[in-house]
Amino acid sequence: MAASERGTGTADNGGATDPSGAIGGREAGAGRLGGFGRSAGAGRSNRTARDTRNTGPGRLLIAVYAIFALSATARAGYQILTKFSEAPLAYLLSAFAAVVYIVATISLAKPGPTWFKVSVTAVVVELVGVLVVGALSLFDAVNFPHETVWSLFGRGYGFIPLLLPILGLIWLYRRRPSAPVAASAD
Amino acid sequence: MDAYFYIILVVGLVSTVLCAGAGILKKAPNDTTILSVAAVELALLVYLVGSIIRVASGEHIAGEPWEFWGYLFTALLLPVGAVYWAIAERTRWSNFVLAAVGVTALVMAARMNQIWY
Repeated sequence: MAASERGTGTADNGGATDPSGAIGGREAGAGRLGGFGRSAGAGRSNRTARDTRNTGPGRLLIAVYAIFALSATARAGYQILTKFSEAPLAYLLSAFAAVVYIVATISLAKPGPTWFKVSVTAVVVELVGVLVVGALSLFDAVNFPHETVWSLFGRGYGFIPLLLPILGLIWLYRRRPSAPVAASAD
Repeated sequence: MDAYFYIILVVGLVSTVLCAGAGILKKAPNDTTILSVAAVELALLVYLVGSIIRVASGEHIAGEPWEFWGYLFTALLLPVGAVYWAIAERTRWSNFVLAAVGVTALVMAARMNQIWY
């Protein structure tokens, strides 16, 4: 399981640990593009060769997620360390948002069907979070006066927090493990 | 807003326009786009050196000093990380990754100015 997921990844030492290593690490990366099938695990078809999301537009998506993971973590850390008692709920929400962005960033960068499921979960939680927190901060401004990344649908961040999970879900759908190989982007 | 902010404003916007333009033209990262991101890093280094000199000569940061330095050091890491991420797979999309550096540095410089004054 672990070895098969590794072999389909980018060229970083992936092939070296692969027991079926007829193909070296470099070619494992090329296999992702060329799509020559290596039936790695039991019951896996050759589509595992392209089961990765850190390529093409996915790399931009991961980069933007990484920026948000960084800024949300820094902001939540600052809020909790300096003024937690002012608004515990809002600052815990900030911290939760930060964790969601971190999980999304890492899972999008990792190959394999398990990480795909983690990505879908993280991005759906993110979408629900931005919608719920956005609506609450709009309609119940008295109880949600303190800023989080998701307040007012992410207005303080150019509404990117609202756009990001939608783009993320589109990307995950296009790179879903059961997608036909022909549908692969570049 | 001080001169450091306006330097980063200009350099960041030029870098973002160059990189996004190259991405729209379906080009992979090249010397122009990578050097424009290096220019953003240079502008941030100027901000760093200038800020160290100002603090050393007795100027006082109005906001939380460690928040200011946190922003500055994080901003300094951005161009390096983006170039690393972009040249690992050189497609047009990598230019959009590089394009994100300029605007992000610009937003962070604006925040750094707010903290300082």
